[in-house]
Amino acid sequence: MVSQGIPEETGYILFLFAATLALVITLRLVISPRDPKPTPEKRAPFESGQIATGPGRTRFIIQYYPYILMFVVYDVIAMFLFAWALDLRALGASGTIPVLTFMVVALVPLAYALHLAGQRENW
Amino acid sequence: MPDPVTQIIQLVTSTYFLEIVLFPGLTSIAILGAFFTWFERKLTARVQLRIGPLYSSPVGGILQGFADIIKLLFKELIIPEGADRFFFIMSPVTALIIGAALLGLIPFAPGIQIANVEVGLPAFLAIVTLSPTLVLLAGWSANSKFPFIGGLRALFQQTAYEIPLWLSALGVVMITGTLSLTGIVQYQQNNGWLIIPQALGAVLFIVTSTAEMERLPFDLPEAESEIMMGWQAEYPGPLFMLVQGPAFIKLYAFAALFSTLYLGGYLGPALIPPIVWFFAKTIVIIVAIMLFRSTFPRVRLDQLLRQGWTTLLTLSIVNIVIAYLIVVGVPAI
Amino acid sequence: MTDLTFLALATVTVASAILALEARDLVYGAAALGITFLGMAGLFFFLDASYVATFQIAVYIGAVVVLILFTVMLVGPQMGEPPMELKRLSLLTALLVSLLLGTAGSLTSANAFPGPDSCGTGCDLIGLSKTLITQYGVPLEFLSLVLAAAVIGALTLAKADRKG
Repeated sequence: MVSQGIPEETGYILFLFAATLALVITLRLVISPRDPKPTPEKRAPFESGQIATGPGRTRFIIQYYPYILMFVVYDVIAMFLFAWALDLRALGASGTIPVLTFMVVALVPLAYALHLAGQRENW
Repeated sequence: MPDPVTQIIQLVTSTYFLEIVLFPGLTSIAILGAFFTWFERKLTARVQLRIGPLYSSPVGGILQGFADIIKLLFKELIIPEGADRFFFIMSPVTALIIGAALLGLIPFAPGIQIANVEVGLPAFLAIVTLSPTLVLLAGWSANSKFPFIGGLRALFQQTAYEIPLWLSALGVVMITGTLSLTGIVQYQQNNGWLIIPQALGAVLFIVTSTAEMERLPFDLPEAESEIMMGWQAEYPGPLFMLVQGPAFIKLYAFAALFSTLYLGGYLGPALIPPIVWFFAKTIVIIVAIMLFRSTFPRVRLDQLLRQGWTTLLTLSIVNIVIAYLIVVGVPAI
Repeated sequence: MTDLTFLALATVTVASAILALEARDLVYGAAALGITFLGMAGLFFFLDASYVATFQIAVYIGAVVVLILFTVMLVGPQMGEPPMELKRLSLLTALLVSLLLGTAGSLTSANAFPGPDSCGTGCDLIGLSKTLITQYGVPLEFLSLVLAAAVIGALTLAKADRKG
């Protein structure tokens, strides 16, 4: 990969670096907090006109926790599925059996999570 | 091996550098992003029997996006009290870089591609996975209730549709046997557009990518009628422009990816240059996604999560089975 | 050019790992952890392991860091520890240990003495797929069992028992 010229990924990283540089320069030139007449009303959090009370970071949604867990697990499973899908033509039906059992085993916690997520009193 | 300075000079004077800076790189991304804001407003207006932007230029208000940018640049920059300044400013900046990174992976025409990475498809999806994290950070950083709720909604919305998005792209990988986007286009050159064997996958892809872009009907994090612009609520003038930019850049990137995966990318009869084919297909998909906005009501978060993990996941598995039967069952393809 | 990029990636990775450990505000620490994983993904790219790099970004940063961020935001700012004082002895020890580990590690790795591309035939993506499914099929099953057990355990622990 590094034998001739510049490898593809270095070019990509260079592109991202150029994008970052352009953005940072734009920001420095353009955006600097300029507030010649600061008033307390300006800096108050927006709540459609009423006076905001209480801390800003409340109202956590915790009853969807099973979905986050299943998301993490299935993201890992997707990684293995992509590896399987790459060589599907050569692996054929016999090569799919490990992946089939893999998926079946992975569907059991999904069923449990969906069952739990449906019961809202648990959260 | 030549020393770094020579290599840098070599790089800057090459056409690759022009590709990075002009097209399909940074300048074209910025201009097209501004153009698509006008396009969406005009299209939505016509659907609603209105006129839309009209006055900012002699030709139907086409410079409206640029006029908005100039206006927003001169506004006062007010950061709310108690807000986390670093994440407040850095989240939209990083989202813009992510948008540019997405467009760097796509083959616009044979030879015009910033990064021909051999894992182009999962790289695209992996990079786009990072954007709801940034929305969560942006919503948290504003220290205000509406943005925080919007940020949390973005997090949970991601858990609903992300897996069906990966699995619908899996069908394409199964049939073509390659992860690189140029490889997928080359497969379609020999074997026809992938939308035919993967019709279900294409539908799933467009639905889940609309959810990824947080557009209607999946714009819960930004629900204008419920939580007042959600996570974008506290963003002042210039930062608001930076926040709106990634939405349209992601739209452009996803439409480009859809046309690359399912519609053959830049392929087409040779009368018209490939780049024009590419943009024609991309704009068709963009118009379709913009029309979703005017057609469907917003989903609710628990509906979305439930349906994502039951209906969408089941359909993705059905799509995988269909692709499996196509690959293993019909060896001629 | 490659060495410069490697140096940059390594610096970013190590610096954000230190930041992830030492940051007082845990949200900054979680975000720094994300940057560390991003640096690691870049390093994976330079080791010709582009598949691993891509899924490192997708799974680690896209899912795990998001989960950590959510938990950190739930817990709140009062749980962060105050920053440690920088004692000279601990700094010297850290330097010596990292030098020792780095030297030992680099001497024992296969790429210590550069030669022709030592990857062989199994290094491309198709080879990865084939090897993973055929040769490592049984560990794949165990992996799914471990994941299933982790999820069921986490859900059982996390749900509140409201009886009566």
